[in-house]
Amino acid sequence: MSHLLKATALATSLAALIGAAQAQEITVVAGNMSSYLDPGRDHSNVGSQFYFNLFDPLIHRDYSKLEPEWLPGLAVSWQLVGPTTMELKLREGVKFHNGATMTADDVVFSLNRMFQATFPPYQVRQRDRLGNFDRAEKVDALTIRVHTKREETLWETLLNLQQLYIVPEAYIKALAGDPNAVENDDFEAWGLAPVGTGPYRLAEFVPGQRIVYERFDDFWGEPAPLARVTVRHVPEVASRLTALRTGEAHIATNIAPDQLALIEADPGLKAEGSNTALFHVVIFNVNHPKMQDPRIRRALSLAIDRDLMNEALWLGKAIIPSTHSIAEFGALYMPELKTFYYDPEEAKRLLAEAGYDGFEVVYDMHSPSYYTNDTLAAQAIMEMWAAVGVNGRINAIPKWTGNDPNMMARTWSNPMYFADPAGMFGVMWAPGGPAQSEGRFNTDADYAAAWERFRFSTDLEARKAAYAELMERIKNDPPLIPLWRPYESWAMRKEVSWRPQPGHIPYVLDFRAGAIALDAMN
Amino acid sequence: MLRYALRTLARMAVTFLVIVTLVFFATRISGNPLDFILADGLTSEDRAILIRYYELDRSWWHQYLAFLRGFWDGQFGLSFIERRPVGTIVLERLWPTAQLLLSAMALTLALALPLGILAAMHRDRWIGSAVMTLAFLGYAVPNFVLAVFLILIFAYWLNWLPVVGNATAWHFILPTLTLASGLVAALTRFTRNAMLDVLGQDFMRTARAKGLSERAVILRHGLRNAGITILSVVGLQVAGLAAAGSVVVESIFAWPGIGELLVRSAIRRDYPVLQFGVLTVAFAVIVINALIDLAYAWADPRLRQRGA
Repeated sequence: MSHLLKATALATSLAALIGAAQAQEITVVAGNMSSYLDPGRDHSNVGSQFYFNLFDPLIHRDYSKLEPEWLPGLAVSWQLVGPTTMELKLREGVKFHNGATMTADDVVFSLNRMFQATFPPYQVRQRDRLGNFDRAEKVDALTIRVHTKREETLWETLLNLQQLYIVPEAYIKALAGDPNAVENDDFEAWGLAPVGTGPYRLAEFVPGQRIVYERFDDFWGEPAPLARVTVRHVPEVASRLTALRTGEAHIATNIAPDQLALIEADPGLKAEGSNTALFHVVIFNVNHPKMQDPRIRRALSLAIDRDLMNEALWLGKAIIPSTHSIAEFGALYMPELKTFYYDPEEAKRLLAEAGYDGFEVVYDMHSPSYYTNDTLAAQAIMEMWAAVGVNGRINAIPKWTGNDPNMMARTWSNPMYFADPAGMFGVMWAPGGPAQSEGRFNTDADYAAAWERFRFSTDLEARKAAYAELMERIKNDPPLIPLWRPYESWAMRKEVSWRPQPGHIPYVLDFRAGAIALDAMN
Repeated sequence: MLRYALRTLARMAVTFLVIVTLVFFATRISGNPLDFILADGLTSEDRAILIRYYELDRSWWHQYLAFLRGFWDGQFGLSFIERRPVGTIVLERLWPTAQLLLSAMALTLALALPLGILAAMHRDRWIGSAVMTLAFLGYAVPNFVLAVFLILIFAYWLNWLPVVGNATAWHFILPTLTLASGLVAALTRFTRNAMLDVLGQDFMRTARAKGLSERAVILRHGLRNAGITILSVVGLQVAGLAAAGSVVVESIFAWPGIGELLVRSAIRRDYPVLQFGVLTVAFAVIVINALIDLAYAWADPRLRQRGA
């Protein structure tokens, strides 16, 4: 019986593998799975995995490069025709997955559904990153114009956002209620059955369980390299790795650093990784009565030895930032700023000066563990605080406490939503932004003025100078300390050639031409 | 019997209403879904917009009445997160869990009854002790440990069996074994004890004296009488499993079942899914219990008379 079982299982898994290689089909086992697929309302690290295969923006970039190099997407050319107006020529004959041809009306609808959002989840995204856009309008069948409220320096960057991917107007309007009107229910239904112009179409979507992509034969660009991709939700990392070994899966996401040795030891498997474009951070509540004195928060920041934790927890593979800046910012990358560093003696001095009386600093972290290494990091931070005389305590709590006036310090992350300081620091720490409106961060007229110059100045040097000013403020009165850019890994079978592309936002599973290849079975 | 059945039905209805109410308020006491669905990075203005949109600005009583009314109309609402009808979501998950539960119970009955009888008949010999030692082991090893061992041996090293999902019959083997191990252990012990109680009874001696074969004595008279105790244990086991007892196993084997759904919904405070999911499970447990009650009554005439 056992021989029969073994033979059958071997035969089926071999057949499956050979079949997969020939038919260009792969299975991905993912640690997280989306509950809906709407690139407009979503900005989660879970959703960001899945949109790029289905949709196109007006302006693409070379995603294999870190530095932005803009490429035609659904627009073939674009130019400014006024200080606040861009004119874009559209690609001809682009097909949506439902067979409809993309029109200028679809493009205007796609943009205005976000710029002039009526659907509440879109309104939220509109305000946090698209606030400077006024409207889009059709000029002729293949030309549109986009108007901003003020001069914009980030045109291409913003038009590349997943929130501005192009979607089919008639299809969406017909999803619920009146087929000629835009209703909230249209967008609710849309999140379960999205239709785009990308190289793959959505063949099946079971929220929280699986996504099946199939090659879209009428794609306008280079055809998809795979005929079919099944992404399955497998919450346990051990099960994901086993599935790779048994041949049930080809790629596994969310591999913890301590699993890497296991993968390297396996002749059939390999791992690819990258430093994800986000920071794990510690945030402080500057308005908590015991945390108001900036010297206390500076001391808590200076006491944390991030390099030591990098060696111990990340095997040295994380990147420790000296300021709130990453290489993806291009010309605005400013590693020369020294905003955050380790200086325990200075920490002790500041604590003494502030008259720290040994009060307990409660450090909230998400329970169950949410960020890779977050529990170990929290424990290490408590030890480092203890070393300078601070009495810290971890409070594992299963909800967001960033808006709780009693919160003192907690873990969080600052993702890069687009490749500019405005898309990373800016989304969270703008005047009136989420940190301030949750009551744990304050800004004043000076901060707002520096912010204005940083966000809207058309002179690069002026933007940099203003950002340096903001960082100096953050250094002297810290509402946060970025810990690191985590190192995230994907495990895969040896016959798969895939790696995260540096030009994407975090976690994108890019299966377009050039991004993935399957070697023939050897 | 009819009156007994009616009384059971009435008890079911009351239990159900109590659970409905408890579930509704317990989910709300445990936290605001906005802290989970939309979580971080929202300005207070954005929060206000979304609170209105999801109708979380209404009072609890308003929501409770709407919830009860929805129940009456068969409208259970949309998931906060997936924005699909909760009925669809829960039903999608119910069948895989039921399949796993049935296969685990089938295996349990097939193993535990013969083993328990064997252990009872040979209680003073090595075979009896061996069975009981095994049962003790099965009871002591937690599900998640056993699952990891099974995966290591049969998938990771031997590469015989798949571990992810429920696509083929092969996929059933490891989760079924994992789930059944503890149940077999428990039921074997109960079967043995129940049989031991029965074996010493006068009617067994009478049956033997009638000249019946030992096999007939054990099966027809012994097992039938021990059956009432065994039935109650099986009932508890099924109900326990149905009440999301397979959460760990579902999570390890990526089994798209209701246990995993309930845990995820609880963590994200997806009230509508959580409510409907818990109620569905509660309903299943109540129905199972009622069936067991009726089976008791059928098996034990004394109960029927008391009910009348």
